[in-house]
Amino acid sequence: MDKCCEKKSAAPEVIPRVALIGNPNVGKSVIFGWLTGQYVAVSNYPGTAVEVAQGNSKVGGRRRVIVDTPGINNLIPMSEDERVTRDILLDDEDLKVIQVCDAKNLRRGLMITLQLAEMEKPVVLVLNMADEAKERGITIDRHGLAQLLEIPVLSTIATRRKGLDGLGKVLEESCTPQVRPIYSPEIEEGVTAIENLLPEKQKGKRALALMLLAGDESLQDWLHCRLSEQVILKIEEISRRLQSQHQEPLGFFINQKRLNAVDRILEGVFRKEKRSRGMGARALSNLTTHPIGGVPILLAVLYAMYKWVGDFGAGIGVDFLLNVVFGKAINPAVTWVVEYLFPWQFLQEFFVGPYGLVTMGLTYAIAIVLPIVGTFFFAFGLLEDSGYLPRLAVMVNRVFRVMGLSGKAVLPMVLGLGCDTMATLTTRVLETKKERILVTLLLALGVPCSAQIGVMVGMFAGLSMKAIVLWAFVVMGSMIFVGLLASKLIPGEKADFIMEIPPLRIPTLANIFIKTLARLEWFLKEAVPLFLLGTFFLFALDRLGLLKALQNMAAPIVVGFLGLPAKASQALLLGFLRRDYGAAGLFVMAKAGELDSIQIVVSLVTITLFVPCVANFFMIIKERGLGQALAMAGFIFPFALIVGGGLNFLLRFLGVNL
Amino acid sequence: MNRANEGPVPGRKRHGRGWNEAGEKSESHQREEILELLWTMREKGPVSVEEFLQMTEEEEADHILRKMERDEWISLKEGQVAFLEEGERRAEEIIRRHRLAERLLSEVFELEEKYMEPSACQFEHILNPQVLDSVCTFLGHPPTCPHGKPIPRGPCCARFKREMEPLVRPLADLKLGEEGRIVFITPRSRIRLERLSSLGLIPGSVVRLAQKRPAFVLEIGETTLALDEDIGREVYVKKNK
Ligand SMILES: [Zn+2]
Ligand SMILES: [Zn+2]
Repeated sequence: MDKCCEKKSAAPEVIPRVALIGNPNVGKSVIFGWLTGQYVAVSNYPGTAVEVAQGNSKVGGRRRVIVDTPGINNLIPMSEDERVTRDILLDDEDLKVIQVCDAKNLRRGLMITLQLAEMEKPVVLVLNMADEAKERGITIDRHGLAQLLEIPVLSTIATRRKGLDGLGKVLEESCTPQVRPIYSPEIEEGVTAIENLLPEKQKGKRALALMLLAGDESLQDWLHCRLSEQVILKIEEISRRLQSQHQEPLGFFINQKRLNAVDRILEGVFRKEKRSRGMGARALSNLTTHPIGGVPILLAVLYAMYKWVGDFGAGIGVDFLLNVVFGKAINPAVTWVVEYLFPWQFLQEFFVGPYGLVTMGLTYAIAIVLPIVGTFFFAFGLLEDSGYLPRLAVMVNRVFRVMGLSGKAVLPMVLGLGCDTMATLTTRVLETKKERILVTLLLALGVPCSAQIGVMVGMFAGLSMKAIVLWAFVVMGSMIFVGLLASKLIPGEKADFIMEIPPLRIPTLANIFIKTLARLEWFLKEAVPLFLLGTFFLFALDRLGLLKALQNMAAPIVVGFLGLPAKASQALLLGFLRRDYGAAGLFVMAKAGELDSIQIVVSLVTITLFVPCVANFFMIIKERGLGQALAMAGFIFPFALIVGGGLNFLLRFLGVNL
Repeated sequence: MNRANEGPVPGRKRHGRGWNEAGEKSESHQREEILELLWTMREKGPVSVEEFLQMTEEEEADHILRKMERDEWISLKEGQVAFLEEGERRAEEIIRRHRLAERLLSEVFELEEKYMEPSACQFEHILNPQVLDSVCTFLGHPPTCPHGKPIPRGPCCARFKREMEPLVRPLADLKLGEEGRIVFITPRSRIRLERLSSLGLIPGSVVRLAQKRPAFVLEIGETTLALDEDIGREVYVKKNK
């Protein structure tokens, strides 16, 4: 029998589980924090809460396990997130549900309530953000709604801890909502037919039957574990026959019927005064996505971020950690200990040599990358919680279109400016495989991470504006060119751009601090080991004498093709392993006056287009598999050299003065 | 929505063209009714003669079927009714008339279901081809009737002429800040349609167009959605006054 078919071993002590379910951005995570005293990422960008958080709660005097699920709009899953949530609901038959709903958006909330009713889950409905609803002239007859659905309904303002006190007690009174939309006679017939084929003791058969009718492919595994091949074929036959009788997809028809049922409920309990949305907020909100007005805002946001990350993080932060903490304290201390413990030079160099795990790997990760990435994550958290990111996605949608991407891809792309490795991981939030491959490729190709930008800023200081613009132009041009080409070559549909835009909100600093800490924790756990591994690679190459040999091999290309001094080949070679190591090497040469301005631009373009670092490469292997990773690297390195060489040739040929 | 309402309902009196003074239907009218029923039955699967005769309410249906076979409108081989070229063309036309009439009645006169059906059945015998194309254009060349069944395309649909201001038009035609009620959506993919409907974008929803560039921004109640332009073009609305 398959593994999935084993009944989850019944734990001796059964702690009741409660799931928080709701649309995206309705404040589930805040309520989760209140219930468990823990924090998880609260964010406005659809898809950021892919990981499911669990915590213990003693609210109301009983021990419970609280599960925070990704936001959903429908239990017929259309994304990874929705699937995760649906599976949580399906797996645990005794699961209770706290449904969190944005009070002003009750319509979409009730759409989920109906589906929970069909799943026969005990539900407590929490109408959150009651203040925002009130501001917009919305009144909800909470008691009327509770009576209609026959479940407890609470009204809360979670961010201000208002109205949550009753939650523990009310959880005991949760029960299955008493609403069942009736679909068409044909559909009802199909539902009954499928219900009869499902395992007898199965709960929520109606919900399952409807999911199956809607052609939910993500249920295949579940089905194969519980039913025979014959029965599955029968079910498929029923759903196929019904679909052939309908012009519209059944999923759409079912959604439509559900919304009609919701509208009937709303008629009795939901009232909205004709009052325009807060004019000031609305104007600002519109301005952020305005085709012209939005541009200065976009530029201002990027500039502020650059100042904060570049000047504060990369300047003051790195200086302090590198020169004071590591330079004066940690490295001398570790060197002393290592030399005391290990009398062998080989081991000493392994830890504290020029490619030592501590003196290079750890110093690099903690002293240079951490402050930059930390300040970046903080800024990114601000963008997320204020609701600006989805607006940014709207602004760049057109440009991204050209590259075969939708505006949604802006999330990993912006995150890539912080750390390409982490950004590669977040490509998971994208909907199509094609988009995930494209973004991974473009991240590796042209998005410089903050550590690299930090080094490059130093080099730009000595250059004219013209040179900087040229660099940016060539890098962006390369990305658009490669994106355009790759989107033609990689099979698959282009991704739809359908995105919800949450209202602009003033972020809570405490939330952002905690979120930044959580991301830094991730960074330390996931990225630092890879930094160490990369350093070990370098160490091994150096020890085996391969580093020198490779350098000699590379020299003809570097000197002849790129027009750089022979010494630069070392920097470029390091750039194969970490492009900011490479940049740092070039930085030293530029400082010493060994590069003219054309050489600086050519070398910077080449190194920017390299794969960011070994860690990034490992992450690509992890996410996309070795084959794709090798293919990408096999394309990127020659491409970077060709662009660099071409630029060198062109600039010299035209006699451009930079 | 009651799909049983589609097509003739037993015992319903019919009026309109095609009735002679004695209150009997002309044969051509009867033929039209038969073709219409055949078409709707065929949408659900193959039609057997026996099944058909049970469903129809035309007297002498059996007789007329045979006449239509002789005229090479239909074939009746192996107990199955199938359209031949001529029958197919005529049936398609009558269905187009019926379903466009339904659209017209529900969108323009906002008639309720129970009043809509009998009137549509009268309209279908009255509309001539020129008027029909104008109605189709006026309604924005709807792909489906209010029951979600396909409306056969006519010559006007390919040309997409805009000689008159259509009542139902693509969302993209609204001016910024205008509101409209969604009448139908014609998406390229199933997933897209389902995703839109989970976000509350279904026929009947009222949307306000906040922005067209750089992407479409719609407000549906308190939800704000951004969409690609080409998705926005697949949503058809009737402007709110
Ligand atoms: Zn109809
Ligand atoms: Zn037409």
